[in-house]
Amino acid sequence: MKTLTVSSLSAGYGRFDVVRDVSLDIGQGEAVALLGPNGAGKTTVVRSIMGMVRHRRGSVVVNGTELIGMATHQIARGHAALVPEGRRLFGNQSVEDNLILGALHLRRDKARVAALLDSVYELFPVLRAYRARPSTALSGGEQQMVAIGRMMMSDPDVMLLDEPSLGLAPLVIEAIGKALRQLREQGRSLLLVEQRVDLALSVCDRLYVMSGGRLVRENRCQDVDPEGRALIDAYLG
Amino acid sequence: MQILLSGLATGAIYGLVAMGFAVAFYVTSVINFAQGQLLMAAIMVAAAVSQAGLPTGLGIVAGLAAAAVLGGLVYLLAVRPVLSFSRFSFAWLVSTLGVATILEAGAALIWGPTSRGFPVMLNDQPVRILGAVVSWQQILAIIVGAAVLAAFELYRRRTLFGKLGMAIAADPEMASAIGANTRNVAIAAFALAGLLAGIGGILVGPITYANPYLGETYGINGFVALMIGGVQRPAGAMAGGLVLGVLSQLANTEINSQASDWFPFLIVVVVLLVTPTGLLDAARWLRWPSRRAAAPSPAARPS
Amino acid sequence: MTALASRVRRDRRDRLGGPARGRQAAAVVIAVCYLLFTQLIATGSLYSQSLVLTAACFAILAISLDMVAGMTGLYSLGHAGLFACGAYATTLLNSHLGLGVFTVAPIAVAGTGLVGLVLGSLSLRVSGLYFAITTFIFTLVVGVLASDLSITGGLQGIEGPLFPAFPAGLSGLGSSVTWCVMLALLVTIFLAVAIRGSALYPVLLAIRDAEPFAAAAGVRTAAVKIGMFGLSAALAGLAGWCFSFLGIVSPGQFSWNVSVNILVMVILGGINTTVGPIIGAAFVSMFPAYVNFSALWQELLFGALFVLVIVFFPEGLTGLVVRLARWLRPRLRLAGATTASAVPAAAPPEAAAAPAADGIALRAPAGGRKQPAVECHNLTFGYTRGAVAVDNVSLVVRGGTIHGLIGPNGSGKSTLVSLIAGQRQPAAGSIRINGTDATSSGPWTRPRHGLARTFQTAVLVKELTARANVAIGLYSQVPRIALRAPVWPLLPAARRQGRDMAARAGNALAQVGMGSWAGTRVAEVPHGVEQLTQLAAAAVSGSGVLVLDEPLAGLSPGEVEHVAGILRDFRAAGGTVIIIEHQVQFVFGICDEVTVLSAGSVVASGPAAEVRQDARVREVYLGQ
Repeated sequence: MKTLTVSSLSAGYGRFDVVRDVSLDIGQGEAVALLGPNGAGKTTVVRSIMGMVRHRRGSVVVNGTELIGMATHQIARGHAALVPEGRRLFGNQSVEDNLILGALHLRRDKARVAALLDSVYELFPVLRAYRARPSTALSGGEQQMVAIGRMMMSDPDVMLLDEPSLGLAPLVIEAIGKALRQLREQGRSLLLVEQRVDLALSVCDRLYVMSGGRLVRENRCQDVDPEGRALIDAYLG
Repeated sequence: MQILLSGLATGAIYGLVAMGFAVAFYVTSVINFAQGQLLMAAIMVAAAVSQAGLPTGLGIVAGLAAAAVLGGLVYLLAVRPVLSFSRFSFAWLVSTLGVATILEAGAALIWGPTSRGFPVMLNDQPVRILGAVVSWQQILAIIVGAAVLAAFELYRRRTLFGKLGMAIAADPEMASAIGANTRNVAIAAFALAGLLAGIGGILVGPITYANPYLGETYGINGFVALMIGGVQRPAGAMAGGLVLGVLSQLANTEINSQASDWFPFLIVVVVLLVTPTGLLDAARWLRWPSRRAAAPSPAARPS
Repeated sequence: MTALASRVRRDRRDRLGGPARGRQAAAVVIAVCYLLFTQLIATGSLYSQSLVLTAACFAILAISLDMVAGMTGLYSLGHAGLFACGAYATTLLNSHLGLGVFTVAPIAVAGTGLVGLVLGSLSLRVSGLYFAITTFIFTLVVGVLASDLSITGGLQGIEGPLFPAFPAGLSGLGSSVTWCVMLALLVTIFLAVAIRGSALYPVLLAIRDAEPFAAAAGVRTAAVKIGMFGLSAALAGLAGWCFSFLGIVSPGQFSWNVSVNILVMVILGGINTTVGPIIGAAFVSMFPAYVNFSALWQELLFGALFVLVIVFFPEGLTGLVVRLARWLRPRLRLAGATTASAVPAAAPPEAAAAPAADGIALRAPAGGRKQPAVECHNLTFGYTRGAVAVDNVSLVVRGGTIHGLIGPNGSGKSTLVSLIAGQRQPAAGSIRINGTDATSSGPWTRPRHGLARTFQTAVLVKELTARANVAIGLYSQVPRIALRAPVWPLLPAARRQGRDMAARAGNALAQVGMGSWAGTRVAEVPHGVEQLTQLAAAAVSGSGVLVLDEPLAGLSPGEVEHVAGILRDFRAAGGTVIIIEHQVQFVFGICDEVTVLSAGSVVASGPAAEVRQDARVREVYLGQ
């Protein structure tokens, strides 16, 4: 069974749909990229999966649970978790508080929260050193690590990442990419929204390309030859 | 010293009401204008219970519970339904003021529009401290005010629920994306605000007696304290209350006995005019009342 | 896009160019009925007089509040205080200085207006809740002053002045106070109707819903807001003047509850409507007279009533009626009752036939072609201390070219554009537009410099037609719109200019191929049409420089091609375009020159072909 199955998803914010008839799936332990130019509807897809878009139709199933019709806070309790565009950390709080808040629905299981916290610090050792600092005092890359860590803390079935490379220097992007590859190797299922083709190709098994609110292409990453890559570049502008 | 102590005593009450305003605003970006009436409800219920012959302690608990429950109901019935209006974003302002009218008229209907006795909790022996004469009741107000503030700050910073409140205040949509039920937290915040007002009511009851129109006085003074202390920090609101209490007391003795009617407004006008920087942060918040959750935050979409 | 254009839309009546003749006749009929009603009341019982006159005073207040709350989006809670200012000024000037009631009138009205201007300029520095709170405190302060000062008679209040009766010859008219108050209400209604019919009305709604759009059209939004609040305050003063003749003036009549009640009247009747506030005022002020409960029950019911109204009928009674009418209309039409508005008007032929065939009327850039239209030198700007969003950017856009601005998310494109358009002022550096320095002047000066812009997210007024929205773009071209608005229908020149604006707006829409949508409310048009309406609103004033922030967002490939055609025509006519766009193919396809930004700095700038080959650009974009 697929971990995530999205079928005929249409979603939007008001009078018109930003996303039209999108179907995609992610297998257990698979990393999938969602590429496309700005305004293609990628962010709307992940926000719809999280239940953060009011108008949505179609079906989103995670490990047998239908998410359409569930409230965001219910979805966030282990079904899916999001690293949002722009990170959106709780800036007035420390790194560790941000992480612990990520494990909100597990709060009664202290041992599990501690274990998850350890796994985050293992993946990003730098955060352990900065655990007591306010998250705003961190660099952009470190903040991105906190955002990814916060997502990991809810131990979700599906991990959604919306442009984790945004506004980061190439070296930092490489570090983020390495962390994402480790997550995949640990058997997590990832949906990575990206504009950076190189990052997507280095992390993911498969990729989808969106344009104008629709899926226009699907590929296995190893099949993407230089020519295909140019085509994807063209889609991205 | 006399002025300082009795000022702090009244100020602590204003501060409790103002903290209630701030707690509710903090989580929901809504100012609950029925806050003063929640204080009144606590007094009325406590007075009614103890006059029915039940123990005073029970009356106090009932009063506090009534204020907290009503606070939660205000959010559920009058605030939440109107938050979704896009065009009329201040609908809650009218609906909470409507609730204030309902509570006031309702209390007057049930218990009559005149003052009733309130159980005396402490014997009203005057105490001499550093040359000032104060009552135990006033000392109690100051102590409870400080204790509530300390407890609140500890709770906010040390417990997960307090941190969650801060998270919701900072970014409600993201908070729900980590699994927070923002509705329940908002109800809790409004109930907590009611509880704070209720504590203020129980403290002030023996002095003012139980009167259905108390809510307005304390609501407005609490609101003024909030404006002095700043909308976004409950601790600041308490500080605003204390400042207001002392200054009003000062004006009362130094100018004339009516001065406490207009003096608070003078302070607010001065605060609003002279230190716009102090309030500017608050104003930046206020410009987007209750709708920060509606769209992806501007920070998230730079380009 | 042609599919959109060819779709025939019912042409709704437009605010700017409606059928004037029929409307005038209707106005006369209504005015006559109104005067007959006044006569009836003036000669009627004292009880009905006191009911109607109190309602009339509140109707003046409600209309004046609707002017700021409904039209301009400023929720004032200061109207009870302003009302008190008018009433106390009248009473005190009369009793202490012995001035006659008619001498006092202008003083009370203008004085309250002045108070409003001061209050407005203090509290409108930031808008929103801050404004509501400041005005709320104002009401509280006035209330305290009224009860504590000895001159005002304290809580008991003071007797208002006597209004002189009619001379013997006119005694057939009955009560003179009735006539006076009813005429004051009539004047107020006229002002509201005049402003609604003027070219200022769409601008006010734009200030309410889309302030940056209004500012970019040349509106000094802060001044207009303060002015509207001043006018509204003056009318509240007028209400106070009238009210002082009805008996005792005491602080209890002007408490903060009254401010809230006035707001409830407006909302109950229907916010931003002409009749709504009147109905609301009549209902709320007569409510106690018709509900025979004890005072407390009344209060309780009243509180419950306005919570219920806010929760269930935020659009008020008129909103309900409109909804009912919408529901009834198709059924009536089936029954054979045809109305004028049910006849579909044909789309303007030129729109469907040849979209954008002849470009947009242009003002040639001052220096002629190929001269710099926009020059930025060493611009630096940061939103917060320390972080720079635009870092030492220099950019020259030659006249008669299309200049692309690209870069990854967060690279500072939108910020740079907001500096050029005056929304923000640079911390360092200079901006020249068509040869004139524009570094530190606000957005409303840009139309004068010949520059117009569109916004990334559509910022039009949803409840107005596309045509009325485009007409906002002509604001800077018609003199003194704001000053003339209160008497707009009386000025033949203004009416002519209003029609002219509507016609030009219609033409501009036709030229972007959207002529058939001119009469449709923006709330009902597809997204692509909205984007093109924005473009038309920017182009309509004939600005030689257009700054477009992601004009293609959400457009279909066909619509993109259509926009490209419009921009090429515009360039051919000598116009200059600065365009932010993510669709890089489009940018390199149409632009003469391209500037690439990354992290607030210019990475490359020059002819499109050269920039395209630049290795750094590929690096920025693709991370290669």
